Amino acid sequence: MNILVSIDDTDNLESRGTGELASLLAAQIEQYRWGRSSYVTRHQLLVHPDIPYTSHNSAMCFSAVLEDCHPQRFIEHAARFLESESAPGSDPGLCVARPALLVDDAPLIRFGRSAKEDVLTKEEAYDLARELGIHLSEHGGTGQGVVGALAGAGLRLGGNDGRLKGKLQAGSAGSAVRVDVLRSHPLIEEVDSLNGESVLDDDLVRLGEKVKAVLLGGRSVLLVEADGEAEQGVRWRTCSGRTLKKY
Amino acid sequence: MHERGRRHLGLEDWREAARLAEACSGFTPDVEEEQVADEVVSCFNCRYRRWNADSVSCVAPFLQ
Repeated sequence: MNILVSIDDTDNLESRGTGELASLLAAQIEQYRWGRSSYVTRHQLLVHPDIPYTSHNSAMCFSAVLEDCHPQRFIEHAARFLESESAPGSDPGLCVARPALLVDDAPLIRFGRSAKEDVLTKEEAYDLARELGIHLSEHGGTGQGVVGALAGAGLRLGGNDGRLKGKLQAGSAGSAVRVDVLRSHPLIEEVDSLNGESVLDDDLVRLGEKVKAVLLGGRSVLLVEADGEAEQGVRWRTCSGRTLKKY
Repeated sequence: MHERGRRHLGLEDWREAARLAEACSGFTPDVEEEQVADEVVSCFNCRYRRWNADSVSCVAPFLQ
């Protein structure tokens, strides 16, 4: 059974990040042999004076396939995990959605998009979760994190938002790597160019210091841009952090 | 960005963010997924920066 797990608002200025907790939860699914989990994505939400957030207001989400664990058992585990691992003063929220059970996924995707532009309330989040049959729960503080948790699930489901957590190990910075080699990386599903030009298997990509993928078209995509210097036949370079900030 | 009281940087002040962080004794790198500047040492990569709608502010408790 496919699930989406999204959490938000588990940290404070001194604690581990929400992304690390998401990674730990994803790893536990495999460690306990409950199933398989996918990469964690980070989704930027609105920063606004009326929204309480620590420093950046982002939600973290991953997908998983549960093979030997009932979703309810996982939900109870994740709830206990958030209650024990979230930082003091945080307002953690947990969302577990089963996309296959959604009659219509559009409202959830819309909610995710709205959370990037509008101030949304807990009540709106709970109402939508109830309507769609999605698990949504709060685990400390004000529980305000339920808004971001539900939004994170919607944005992940929409497939066109967010950056993958973690730097990709694809070679040393400054080296040139063939596109087909990058496409065979376990965390890269596609290599695309920023400007829409075709990226060919035998093209070369100069790797930057920090190689990161984004979620586009429901896939993990390594975005590249034209290498202005184009030395030694290297046509592309990986995008800078500044460029990827908007994803 | 660090002085007593809050200071702000524009969202595109990449060069200034790097310059200020290099000179700041309080710079502490944020977790990887929240770092956006290509310069390793930058206010934009610091755990104590706070993104606002049109600026970034320093919220380092020991520098306020």
